[in-house]
Amino acid sequence: MTIEEQVRDIVARITRVDKSIITRESTFKDIKADSLDVVQALVAVEELFEIEIPDEVAQKFQNFGDFVSYVESKVAQTEKV
Amino acid sequence: MGGDYAPEEIVKGAVLAAQQGDVEIFLVGSTGILENHLARYGAAKNSAIHVAAASECIAEHESPVAAIRRKPDCSVAVAAKMVKSGEADAFVSAGSSAAATVSAIQYMGMLDGIYRPAIVGSMGTFARNTVMVDLGANVDCKPHQFLDFAIVGSVYAKKFLNIVDPKIALLSTGVEEGKGNEAVREAYSLLKNSGFNFVGNIEGNEVLGGKANVIVCDGFVGNVLLKFYESIGGQARDWTEKKVKKYPFLGILVKLVFNRLFQATEISSETEKGGGGILWGIDGVVKIAHGASRAPRIANAIQSAKNAVRAGTTESLKLELAKYNQGGKL
Repeated sequence: MTIEEQVRDIVARITRVDKSIITRESTFKDIKADSLDVVQALVAVEELFEIEIPDEVAQKFQNFGDFVSYVESKVAQTEKV
Repeated sequence: MGGDYAPEEIVKGAVLAAQQGDVEIFLVGSTGILENHLARYGAAKNSAIHVAAASECIAEHESPVAAIRRKPDCSVAVAAKMVKSGEADAFVSAGSSAAATVSAIQYMGMLDGIYRPAIVGSMGTFARNTVMVDLGANVDCKPHQFLDFAIVGSVYAKKFLNIVDPKIALLSTGVEEGKGNEAVREAYSLLKNSGFNFVGNIEGNEVLGGKANVIVCDGFVGNVLLKFYESIGGQARDWTEKKVKKYPFLGILVKLVFNRLFQATEISSETEKGGGGILWGIDGVVKIAHGASRAPRIANAIQSAKNAVRAGTTESLKLELAKYNQGGKL
């Protein structure tokens, strides 16, 4: 399972939307996620991949694709270390 | 250690609850401040009260949702973690409801199948067999949350009102299926196909009519209705007293009659008398006390949380949810 699929699963589970509607272009608003959904998704992703996503970074995510790209880059960094 | 009158009234309330007996209390917050207050109220050596340290607190201007992530050592987060670890059986907070709710979700978790916690209350004397969900935990709701509210309300109606097959209704602006806002219209369809004993929409004038045992609505509507309902007795008494001012004897009679009405419009022990509402759907007992609670209400909230633990509310809900999640009917 790719990182993108795993992140999509988490977001779909937390927001209770069908994962097929979450594309890389989807915003949290598109999938009707509220601030608590977003925080829960961030925490769940942080725990799964053992990474940290600072608030100031998370606030800049324009869409699901940005979120996934950041997680991918952090995971790659961790693997290098 | 939140609340409009914290820490004084919270500590006094804990001391009062401990004096009532049969409960052990952890006060979570800044240890220095709490120990000073306990000493001031002569409870420094009370073996039923302990102090648990929380090094952070949420400032008034902070978003509670974001703060819980950044401040895992604030008092509500520490309290929620204590329940999760089994160190405590329940937690009570008179601070920010949102912060307590987010902490509970984050650190204690939701029961399987429930998206967000809700507050349940029965409609008191006028409709003894009717409960409303949600009374304020979820201001903006998604359609599927109304289904969660129906599940939670059904368990409440069965366990506390002994109703075998609770009738569920959706509060709306008309009885027809297409009435209400977008979320309510979508919720109608979900409830209709849920397997519940769904009796359709009801309007505000039918809330007390006994048509439904469980009335579901979003927390915004539920909270507005709750406060309006609870104000009726007092407002009616004040208005009538003014009208009969010239006749002192009638004034006494009015007081007697309307004080009874005032009690009749209080919504159940789960809210006012119990010092706040229990968050249903969390994996454990969480009591949200009113921010303006003073010591007696804090003591009531502590006792009410204890009673909820003893009554096995979480376990009952888990059992019913397991049945529902396996495709059974509640």
